[in-house]
Amino acid sequence: MQVSIWEIFRTFFYVGATGFGGGMAIVSLTERVCVHEKRWLGLEEFMHGLAFGQILGPFSLNTTVFVGYYLRGVAGGVTACVGFIAPSFFLISLLSGLYFQFHELPQLQSALKGTNPVVIALILVAAASMARSKVKRPNDWLVALLSFVAAAFFNVNTLLILVLAGLWSFGRGYYRREHR
Amino acid sequence: MATIFELAWIFFKIGLIFVGGGYVLIPLLHRIMVEQFHWLTLKEFLDGVALSQLTPGPLAMLATFTGYRAGGFMGGLVATVFIFLPCTALMLFLSSHYEKLRNMELIKAVLDGILPSVVGLVAAAAYSLGKTSLISTRDYLLLVAGFLVLQFTRLSPMVVILGAGAVGFFFHFA
Repeated sequence: MQVSIWEIFRTFFYVGATGFGGGMAIVSLTERVCVHEKRWLGLEEFMHGLAFGQILGPFSLNTTVFVGYYLRGVAGGVTACVGFIAPSFFLISLLSGLYFQFHELPQLQSALKGTNPVVIALILVAAASMARSKVKRPNDWLVALLSFVAAAFFNVNTLLILVLAGLWSFGRGYYRREHR
Repeated sequence: MATIFELAWIFFKIGLIFVGGGYVLIPLLHRIMVEQFHWLTLKEFLDGVALSQLTPGPLAMLATFTGYRAGGFMGGLVATVFIFLPCTALMLFLSSHYEKLRNMELIKAVLDGILPSVVGLVAAAAYSLGKTSLISTRDYLLLVAGFLVLQFTRLSPMVVILGAGAVGFFFHFA
């Protein structure tokens, strides 16, 4: 039986409203709901979606789009995406509105001053955990180090660095494929 | 302030180079919003990262915050739609061709090569944000405490951010 668009919306709205923790927390919640509870797709298909989801954008959202597409094509994918983002969108719009109106308040200033160093810590932890899983070979370390130095000390444009890294690895990949 | 079309175009471009799971947005958005267009101060940018951690959505909700600053509710909406447009379209395309995608190896090789660069860029963002925003010993203590908690416990970033906010609030950080 075909899953209705409304059912897809409801399900992903629920995931988007309760999946606090982001990233992998969302993916495992999606897996529990869609693979185990509703049995909409198999674990293997779900894993393929997750692998594709690493290419561009946030993988939690991409996995959502994949499952929606799997169920009902483009309409299903778009519905799943909108349902998933909607709760966070409204919450952050509300918080942004409050923030820009009240951020001069001393109490809120104090609270935000507490969060600032922790935000930097969060970014550092993200870099460290990405480094553990994605930076392995000497070439990776070289690329990571050069990118860091170029951005931190020479203020080179972020996009330019990404494009150069892409070209470099494309060249390496192409060369290896041709000389096998 | 920016026109809606300008916002749409900027966020669409960011969406196109949004690789590596979200954190690459920190150097990109910092560069564009703070240094290039001056839509946000450094402080507001950091506060925006904190706010985006309070939602279940991806870190990219930071785009909603910066869009909101540049053009109100509509700005936030346009920023959100356009930053997610490229990855959603690509994902729909991949999903529809996923039986036929045999040439994935080269795509994967390119991607694997970009990710170390993303790591370097994210570390550089932490460095340059930290250089200007960490001032007192108290800031460094909080940084170390936050790092240890986030690295070695399973507490979600949301809880840690809220906790840090509570610390600042109750100790009347000035």
